[in-house]
Amino acid sequence: MFQEIIALIIIAFFLFKLFWQKKNQQIQKSEFIFWLIFWIMAALIILLIKQIDLLVAQLGFTGSGIDVAFYLGVALLFYLIFRVRLKMAKLDKQITKLVEKIALNNKN
Amino acid sequence: MKVFCVIPAWNESKRIGNVVKSVLAVVDQVVVIDDCSDDTTGEIAAKEGATVLCHLVNRDQGAALRTGTKYALQNGAEIIVHFDADGQMRAQDIPLVIQPIIDKEADVVFGSRFLDQKTKMPTFKRYVIMPLAKLVNFIFLHVDLTDPQSGFRAMSRMAAEKIDWQQDGKAHCSEILSLVTKKKLRIKEVPITIIYHNFGQKFSGGIRILKDMILSKLIN
Repeated sequence: MFQEIIALIIIAFFLFKLFWQKKNQQIQKSEFIFWLIFWIMAALIILLIKQIDLLVAQLGFTGSGIDVAFYLGVALLFYLIFRVRLKMAKLDKQITKLVEKIALNNKN
Repeated sequence: MKVFCVIPAWNESKRIGNVVKSVLAVVDQVVVIDDCSDDTTGEIAAKEGATVLCHLVNRDQGAALRTGTKYALQNGAEIIVHFDADGQMRAQDIPLVIQPIIDKEADVVFGSRFLDQKTKMPTFKRYVIMPLAKLVNFIFLHVDLTDPQSGFRAMSRMAAEKIDWQQDGKAHCSEILSLVTKKKLRIKEVPITIIYHNFGQKFSGGIRILKDMILSKLIN
């Protein structure tokens, strides 16, 4: 119970930060929605952890609900890192295109 | 035939002057791409008679070669040579490399360090790194040249217009080879001599090339 309260307080802090960033236009709408959904889901997992434990046991997992949530979280993180790397590679290509165009235009 | 030599350069102020001077003796125009050097590479190259293009930000060798090749095509080049700025390649090999194109025997000519024994390559590089590079190129790109990582090449205008490589880094060598094969261009290898001042590309560089090749497949 105590851990759940601490976790919910932390999530509330991050949600507060998120709304503050949105208010100050420091974050794009798509990013805001992504993180809003993420933190709401995290809060729901914490509030419904006992029900998740039961569901996970019925599905045949030996670990607890929080273990499964952790493994899924790690898998999601790896996927997001992969997407960020692809995006960076694309941005790199675009920078090269600009640099090339500037070099050629300056000479011609 | 109008021959342009494209030389990508980054912080080569100590060597670029001599390189430009020696190459200008055998080609019609030298195009140096100063890849955002911290030293006076660009100024020295211009002083020796090269046409110098400047990258505002360092983009690596493949990108610099692409900029120079585009410039050469825009300015009427009929044969384009790719040459290194570090003084390891010999300008007197350029006529050998471009001759098959002049004779219409090939569209792209690669210089090979292994067709004769004149190149004194570091042992680890010759017997471990290069065979691995050959194997990787054979598996990924289905090309079988004696020197698939050679940066000394010449291409006809037609070939240069058809090959549009995307790799900015060292993987451009393999990509150019792959494109030449895919476009069914006529290839020839001629012996060249490389003078090693230092080890050159290390094994870790090869790993980076492999990573770039895999990443580009995912993006494209």
